[in-house]
Amino acid sequence: MTGALTWARLSYRQQRWELLLVVLGVAGVAAGMGWLANTLEALRAASPDCLAGVGGSNVSESEGPAAACQAVLNDYDSTEDLASNLLNLAWAAPFGMGVILGAPVVAREIDGGTAQLAWSLSRSRVGWLLRRIAFIAVFGLALLAVLAVASELLAAAILPDRTLGEDFTWFGRRGLPVVARGVGAIMVGVLVGAIVGRVLPSVLASAVVIGLVFAGLSLAHDQWNRAEATVQPRYLESVEPPEIEMTALGVAYGIETADGEFMSYGEAFDRGLDDNFRGEDGKVYQSEADLAAGRSMGHDAWLMIPGERYPELVLRDSVVAVIVGLAALAASAVVVTRRRPT
Amino acid sequence: MNDLVLEARRLAKRYRRGAWALQEIDLEIPAGGITALVGPNAAGKSTLIKTWVGFERPTRGSVRVAGIDPWQNRSAALGKVGYVPQSPSLYDGLSVADHLDLARQLRPGFDRDYARERLAQLDIPADRGGRELSGGQQAQVALALALGTRAPILLLDEPLASLDPLARREFLHVLTDAVRADGATALLSSHIVTDVEQACDRLVVLGVGRVLLHEGVASALETHSISLAEHPDTVGSFGAPDGSRIYLVRGTAERPASLDEVVLGYLASGRSTAAAA
Repeated sequence: MTGALTWARLSYRQQRWELLLVVLGVAGVAAGMGWLANTLEALRAASPDCLAGVGGSNVSESEGPAAACQAVLNDYDSTEDLASNLLNLAWAAPFGMGVILGAPVVAREIDGGTAQLAWSLSRSRVGWLLRRIAFIAVFGLALLAVLAVASELLAAAILPDRTLGEDFTWFGRRGLPVVARGVGAIMVGVLVGAIVGRVLPSVLASAVVIGLVFAGLSLAHDQWNRAEATVQPRYLESVEPPEIEMTALGVAYGIETADGEFMSYGEAFDRGLDDNFRGEDGKVYQSEADLAAGRSMGHDAWLMIPGERYPELVLRDSVVAVIVGLAALAASAVVVTRRRPT
Repeated sequence: MNDLVLEARRLAKRYRRGAWALQEIDLEIPAGGITALVGPNAAGKSTLIKTWVGFERPTRGSVRVAGIDPWQNRSAALGKVGYVPQSPSLYDGLSVADHLDLARQLRPGFDRDYARERLAQLDIPADRGGRELSGGQQAQVALALALGTRAPILLLDEPLASLDPLARREFLHVLTDAVRADGATALLSSHIVTDVEQACDRLVVLGVGRVLLHEGVASALETHSISLAEHPDTVGSFGAPDGSRIYLVRGTAERPASLDEVVLGYLASGRSTAAAA
């Protein structure tokens, strides 16, 4: 048995139920995604007239569907809803990997007493840690990669007329971020397990810690995005969203005042905005008198990042998640080096 | 090579809960032979061994393994040590052969053939799961893993505690055989005195976190005797099974002391010293 196989065997034997759980979970979700993608394509192929424009960028529903198409559209919508829900599972999967696969790795060694044996034999606990988590990390990330590709394919099936490489729709629920966040979550799980040293408490604690870490990262990304976003008016010319609004990342929604300042709706309400005095063209007024006189406070606007920056933000999101993972790995190495094996 | 392979200088260890596990331990174990570290539960035997393995950090004082501080240079210190933990701690689902493979991965120079040969002599099947073995066999696997390191120092933390008499005898036979053949130094902690009497060259009695006696086994038997009445050279006294009082004397008295009685006498003295303090 070669060295890598020895470690793989150890990992499998120690975590076979968790591995089985995630394999079944990912296989089920990926298969579901594949099936839904095929179903959507089949529905479009079967009823091209009814579904023309569905999944595109500008769908006019002003005329409403023909009565004969209503059943097809209902069928398509319910399938699409299911597909969207599966894409949400792709968002949650990396965090689940961290809790289910990451947290028990070191915790079980300490809990079961085997860390005493391993740490007395190994002259480097860091070396032990790296070899101990390698199989689990590679296996978990490979599963997430399958999910990332499947979710990308499903997104393409839902929106066949869009260029998803330049589109923020389902950002973080498809492609590279699914895998990169897995790196961060698994390593944070390993760190929590190394600190707590008991399997069940580690699993529970890692769910909380991973949630907090990634909520914090999300807030940090929001601030970063806000600093880079541009203000765009909304619905000034048309009641329909223009192409750019469908592919862009909405960072914040609010009012652009007459002097060009952007304020969120929360800030605007604090300053006297009344939702009752709003024009159909997106202009907002502070009072009925202002509305009558045409003295608008500003107009609806949003802070957005255009879709063409999608690859850049995907990369940034992924690099940050991987850095968090590496930091957690380094912290795990410190914990493992300094802590008792029991 | 340093003649003193295991050293503790003014070693004290206090756990977070506040209890002192070890207090002012000064101990020097020379190279060669087997030393028994004997004491009751909670005497600090495991803590002392774990400081030498680098699992516990001294609160005060220092320890050395072959002249190396295991907390400062754990890698070098561990290279000198083969360790058998209190419970064999084998991996669930891994066979004996897998354990040997794993040890070879973890420890450069691990002598898998030597360990396998030791286990084969005991008819322990290499393809059997580690946790499927009997307690005695698991202890033998743990010992084989320690012996396979070919480390000059073996630290055994109460490996006999859960074994039946026959398994204990077999374990000690393998240990003494290996130590004599390899010229290694072994420190074996136990609270079962009769077993270690036959296998060990030296005796360290640890009680209430202190070293109460450190002497060769033969010397300890020669220099101690039993008195059935109070004696001016009494080390300590303890109750006999018939309810009478037995006094361990350093010197000559009514009859020779057994090793068990030597240990009991020193433990009693340690307890009364602690109570007086």
